Amino acid sequence: MLSDPQSHLQRPDPATEYLPATIPSFEDKVTDLGKKILAGIRVERASILSKQYWSQRFMEWSTKTPSLKRNLFRLVDVLPSLESSDAISDHIAQYLGDEASTLPTWAAWGIRPPGSATKAIMASGVRLGVRQMAAQFIAGETPRAALGTLRSIRRSGFAFTVDLLGEYCVSEREAESYLKRYIECLTVLGSSVPKWRESRSLMQDNPGDSRAACVSVKLTALYSQVSSLNQKRSVTLLSDRLALLANEARQANAQIYVDAEDSANNEIIYKAFKRVFSSAEFRGDFLVGCVVQAYSRHAATLLTDLLSFSKERGCPIAIRLVKGAYWDHETTVARQNGWSSPLFSHKSSADANFERLSRFLIDNHERLFPAFGSHNVRSLSHACVYAESRGVPKSAFELQMLFGMADPIARAYRHHGHLVRLYVPLGPLLPGMGYLVRRLLENTSNESFLRHTFFDDHTTDALLTAPQFDPEDR
Amino acid sequence: MNTPFFVNEPFTDFSVSSNRKLLRDALERLESTRSTAGLVAYPIINGQRRTTPNIFEREDPSTKDIQLGTIHFASRDDVDEAFSSIEEGRLGWQDTPISERASILNRAASIMQDRRHDLNALIIREVGKPWKEADADVAEAIDFCRYYAERAFHFASPIATSDIPGEENVLVYHPRGTAVVIAPWNFPFAIACGMTVAALVTGNGTILKPAEQSSLVGFALAELLLAAGVPPNAFAFLPGQGEDIGRALVEDKRVDLICFTGSRAVGQQIISSAATPYPEQRAIKRVIAELGGKNAIIVDEDADEDDAIRGILASAFGFAGQKCSACSRLIVVGKQYSRFIERLIEAAADLIVGPSAQPETVVGPVVDDDAYQRLNRTIEHARQECRVVVAARNGSEGYFIPPTIIVDPPLTSSWWSEELFGPVICTTSVATFDDALRLATDSPYALTGGVFSRNPRNLEAAKRHFAVGNLYLNRAITGALVARQPFGGSRMSGIGSKAGGPDYLLQFVEPRTITENTSRRGFVPEIASS
Ligand SMILES: Cc1cc2nc3c(=O)[nH]c(=O)nc-3n(C[C@H](O)[C@H](O)[C@H](O)COP(=O)(O)OP(=O)(O)OC[C@H]3O[C@@H](n4cnc5c(N)ncnc54)[C@H](O)[C@@H]3O)c2cc1C
Repeated sequence: MLSDPQSHLQRPDPATEYLPATIPSFEDKVTDLGKKILAGIRVERASILSKQYWSQRFMEWSTKTPSLKRNLFRLVDVLPSLESSDAISDHIAQYLGDEASTLPTWAAWGIRPPGSATKAIMASGVRLGVRQMAAQFIAGETPRAALGTLRSIRRSGFAFTVDLLGEYCVSEREAESYLKRYIECLTVLGSSVPKWRESRSLMQDNPGDSRAACVSVKLTALYSQVSSLNQKRSVTLLSDRLALLANEARQANAQIYVDAEDSANNEIIYKAFKRVFSSAEFRGDFLVGCVVQAYSRHAATLLTDLLSFSKERGCPIAIRLVKGAYWDHETTVARQNGWSSPLFSHKSSADANFERLSRFLIDNHERLFPAFGSHNVRSLSHACVYAESRGVPKSAFELQMLFGMADPIARAYRHHGHLVRLYVPLGPLLPGMGYLVRRLLENTSNESFLRHTFFDDHTTDALLTAPQFDPEDR
Repeated sequence: MNTPFFVNEPFTDFSVSSNRKLLRDALERLESTRSTAGLVAYPIINGQRRTTPNIFEREDPSTKDIQLGTIHFASRDDVDEAFSSIEEGRLGWQDTPISERASILNRAASIMQDRRHDLNALIIREVGKPWKEADADVAEAIDFCRYYAERAFHFASPIATSDIPGEENVLVYHPRGTAVVIAPWNFPFAIACGMTVAALVTGNGTILKPAEQSSLVGFALAELLLAAGVPPNAFAFLPGQGEDIGRALVEDKRVDLICFTGSRAVGQQIISSAATPYPEQRAIKRVIAELGGKNAIIVDEDADEDDAIRGILASAFGFAGQKCSACSRLIVVGKQYSRFIERLIEAAADLIVGPSAQPETVVGPVVDDDAYQRLNRTIEHARQECRVVVAARNGSEGYFIPPTIIVDPPLTSSWWSEELFGPVICTTSVATFDDALRLATDSPYALTGGVFSRNPRNLEAAKRHFAVGNLYLNRAITGALVARQPFGGSRMSGIGSKAGGPDYLLQFVEPRTITENTSRRGFVPEIASS
């Protein structure tokens, strides 16, 4: 009843029939590459365990029982807002008190402190733990503070894109200060990165590597009243603000990606993106990027639309293909409101769609520079093998992963000759918490490829099986 | 997870552009009718529209130069005739099987679905409700129809109470007789509908008087109910002034039940007038009254600030604070107070204030000139004694009161303790969560309340001690849904059980016990056959 035949995102799907050309032994090749990558990772496993002590512990504990998982997440979520040691130890006792027996002895001891001196020690210990956990995924509070990490990322042979974490934007003053932080970030990157010797090209003829600096922008944080009911003003203001960033990015010689968000806002985001980068001023900007989410039922239509946009514009754009980060949120909203969800309901459909859209991107790589954003070895290997089978060189696309999420996988693909870009969030701990919690949730979700690989020890064959659209999602 | 037994009518998903267009088109249709034929509402008695010389012109609160519609107010004679018609009609209606009465409600719900956006548009224009909230108003009315239709079956067959040999005992529920429904303007469709269909489905003859500010919406509801099949002599619609027609209705000797939603002052008048028997009055009048609130939200030291700010903005300023469930007191625990308040002030100041027909509007106008004058006076007065932050005015011609925050008013002041019914919120700080709970419940009202906290012990304490009708933890405190969150308060917030809840219809019926001696000259069927 509430469907929308007119919206450009919801027309019948022209790319539905976009199937792979039949390539002999294609699946075998995907499995071969996947196995090579996984073999490299499993060797590295011991080292990640020691380096990422807290998050490993956290994930192990939280896969034990659902209630322990819920309480651990709630605890991590609240910790940064607590100031006193008393408040911290009180919250720990309240959240984990009953579960203490299921934790290792030392941890249980920490939860029932005998005296207030130990309270302080425990509070600072837990705080440190959370900080360390956050530090694994967040490179620093400010761009300047993160320069060291960014430089070492380049030194290790990775490209990066920087994202600024922020609180939910509720006022125009906050929107403005967020915009300023981005401008400052671009200035800092622009004045430092080009001088690094690490900034010399990682892969000469890869257009993705034509600029050493890159930022990713959460557009909705740049305007406090974003809403589909306020669409006109939202698109206008966000276009104006994105144009300021685009201009700044140009001066810093930085690439810019506009992140995708939840479906309700994406229409506004894509409109602003297209408005800015088809304007006389910015239509010639090379490889400006936006993000397509494969878990969306409308992703194929969107991608076809972006292809025509790129043609009209006359200058290629970059597409980061991801599965999508808002599945739980959107599914809940849809259920609570009795709406049908715009997303696929099964993980396998999102995976299958990712592969279908990967092929579409590889076949159109000259207009839509493909950036495959995933930690899933099957998804990425499929894209790489498809490119090879079509005679598209490694220099015609790149892979992207989140900083701290799957370093061994990133290394393995780099080792295999791919350009790999790490997505590096920066920001203070409090707003960073939301990001941290989402990463931890992603790692511990029952459907997560990383969990299957690192914690559940699924067999290599199971990990590399070709995904199929679920009948319910057809 | 419990599977819900009742599925609420979905809100319209306005992130879908074709849905936005549906409502835009409906607004245009309404405007073209208004500017050509004009919008008119009449009393309806026995299914007939009445014209009267008693004309009320309703203006559009968003653009007060525009005359929105013409209302024919009912006269005292109309009141008398309405009662006469219903006295006759209600007997047939009470004998109509419940299944038939219930299916009329379901039919009404379907008509509402079909006319969803036309109804939305009328609500938007007449009372100045923003898009989403007007849409929720119609959804709630649909829910009331479906939910009460379903609940009414509980009264369909006699309930056996015990089975002693030689005696049969049953409890049956009968309609009370004639119900008078006095509806408010703030949920002009949903609440008027909920009270009316509750009275009807339980078999009562029913007279609806809408608020004068929402007579057009009330008229649309009345016509819709008749179209759905409510017999013309079981239902009458009488628009008019509260002091005049409202009083006449309430005081009439032919009334058995009064169902009222509105201010505490009028509610108390109705309750005392109902308690005074008039000559020839046939029953003690039963009153169901949903009154005001002075609802508090507590923000704990460890609250998620982003969530709290968004929840407070929605609760305090949605529909310009003109909901009995709205938040009007904010109590912040601990040192974060001033920083939190400054963030809230900035956020409130950026909310979009404007004509309700514009889709982006978050804070529309207040309902009429009286409300506008009263709120302006209150704000001016508060300004002389404490810090008052008022968002910038938008320069439009309607009755706009921008979001207003009264910082640290004396706790003895009227701003802190009395319902203001506008986009105005008072804030204060306390040292501990217990202080916050004490302050929150120190009010004659007990309707809604909210807590933002991530401290399990404090949330538990709130569940036990924050005694309000509807308590919300870590979310906004408005927007109760039928069946999911049955709605209503206690103390000065009202008498009667919760609208949209399982006990609501019980108030519209009277239980009768019937005992029959089944033995005949020593022959007792149960004993003989055992
Ligand atoms: C560099 C980079 C940038 C990113 N930028 C964005 C961005 O701008 N916007 C954005 O939304 N996300 C973004 N993401 C996150 C991304 O969308 C995924 O959430 C994340 O990468 C996990 O997917 P995976 O392929 O790595 O892992 P996998 O474990 O293979 O897949 C997990 C994903 O599957 C999907 N899924 C899980 N359950 C279901 C289900 N029942 N039905 C349908 N689908 C399901 C979800 O998308 C989930 O995230 C980015 C990720 C990376 C690596």
